[in-house]
Amino acid sequence: MRRVLLLTPPIVVIVLLLLVPLWYLVDISFRENVPGRVTFLPGYSLANYIAALSDGFYLSVLGSTILLSLAVTLVCALLGFPLAYFLWRAPPSMKGILTLLVIAPLLISIVVRAYGWMVILGDQGLLNQALISMGLTGQPLRIMFTTTAMFIGLVHVQFPFMVLSILTGLERIDPLLVSAAETLGASRLRAVLEIVVVLAIPGIITGMMLVFTLCMTAFVTPILLGGSSSRMMTTLVYSQFNTAFNWPLGSALAIVLSVASLVLVSAFLMGARRIPLVRRAESAGSKG
Amino acid sequence: MMRLLFLGLVSAIFIFVLLPLLVVVVVSFGSGMTINLDPSTFTLKWYGVAVRSDLFRNALVNSTLIGAAAAALSTGLGLAAGFAIARAHFLGRSSLEALLLSPLAVPGIVIGIALLMVFSTVGLRDAWWRLLLGHVLLTFPYCVRTVIASLSRLDRSYEDAAATLGASRFAVFWRVTLPMIRPGVMAGALFAFVISFDNVPVSIFLADAKTTTVPLAIMTYLEWNYDPSVAAASSIVIISMLTFAMVLERLAGLKKVVGG
Repeated sequence: MRRVLLLTPPIVVIVLLLLVPLWYLVDISFRENVPGRVTFLPGYSLANYIAALSDGFYLSVLGSTILLSLAVTLVCALLGFPLAYFLWRAPPSMKGILTLLVIAPLLISIVVRAYGWMVILGDQGLLNQALISMGLTGQPLRIMFTTTAMFIGLVHVQFPFMVLSILTGLERIDPLLVSAAETLGASRLRAVLEIVVVLAIPGIITGMMLVFTLCMTAFVTPILLGGSSSRMMTTLVYSQFNTAFNWPLGSALAIVLSVASLVLVSAFLMGARRIPLVRRAESAGSKG
Repeated sequence: MMRLLFLGLVSAIFIFVLLPLLVVVVVSFGSGMTINLDPSTFTLKWYGVAVRSDLFRNALVNSTLIGAAAAALSTGLGLAAGFAIARAHFLGRSSLEALLLSPLAVPGIVIGIALLMVFSTVGLRDAWWRLLLGHVLLTFPYCVRTVIASLSRLDRSYEDAAATLGASRFAVFWRVTLPMIRPGVMAGALFAFVISFDNVPVSIFLADAKTTTVPLAIMTYLEWNYDPSVAAASSIVIISMLTFAMVLERLAGLKKVVGG
């Protein structure tokens, strides 16, 4: 009885502020908009989904969102592993502060981080000043408000999540395994590649799934670094609500985005589990 | 040789991670948008401009009040849910926990547009209340998580001893359990404040021109100018968040709160 009383407020919050709004979102996505106004025609239709999945423009935005997220995920994994390995091997006295340095950006407003990149990548930014003073380019490179700027910003934002996931996986590995391999004559590089990387695979996969999902639905970085014309699903949804006032189409696009990222992540996980190396690493991890 | 290459790569990654934050702080002391490392030209002028600006000052007041109110409400919700769940082994316990943590799994922009449509339809027009309700939904799962984690680590024999010695249920909770889980609860509350203070994807749909938050104010400002006052405002945010991070690290270990 006491438990029911305790659970009522949190469940009311979930129902009223999450489940009802989500159900309403799905409902609206099947309505038809009266152009220029936030009112709907009576009845339901599939028109918004047909538009979202057949219109060349919307499809190309979905495609470029997926491609950019994949690229960011891969680069995060490639850069994240060396750093996680470095943190894992760092002396215990330094480990805390070094890990804090990597995590610190997580607690700083994503808007502030994007602003930092604006200062660096802008036409008169740090990078262009450096390139011009070194004589590498005469004209400032146009980086801001391009896909390159979004890519750099997204890698920076997602990177700590990848490092944390890989590091959590590494913490379960016995460091003596590396020494044992070296005693048996393997070089450090070979010991790391054949033992640490393989045992870290579950952590890398977790990190990749997390980063991919976060990239697909990232909003602030694309809008600030990619500009209003950035071809990302989230900025497209935003413009439907902010400028076009087409709630039904915006809702349908948001649902397409959510479903697409869920399907791709599940497919990635199922695909990864088919690779024998991954299966072995996962069963080894669960034993240890 | 391999070792040098590796250390070079690691240093480059650290520079990549920290450079954008350092750049913001350096620009905030400078006289213009160019990076100037000569300390004799450093000025606090832009901090004055930022603090005097109505946009930033109002946003700071709103963000602080909404963050504090959301953190307080979320802590209450987290304690209630945590106690009901952590101490029990009933059927469906794990699905209930998953339901309470589910706001973390829904993309922010989806929560933002869904709440916008519902609030507009039921006629909730006041941006302050819209933001508060949205932020409670976003932050209370973190409090649920920290309360459950603290309770599951707690040795129950202290509570049993207090009860055996005649303490009422409430006295056991207030004088034994709560003091012992306080670090976890505090960490949850602080993290709730940080999440609320930082949020954009939900806030951007719920705020209006009069009631805005710090990150939204910085975004609005960036649309029109790049002068260092926005760097000064950002530096204030960076320094307060890093202070928060250190307190959190002291209380609970940052990695645990962030990564679950």
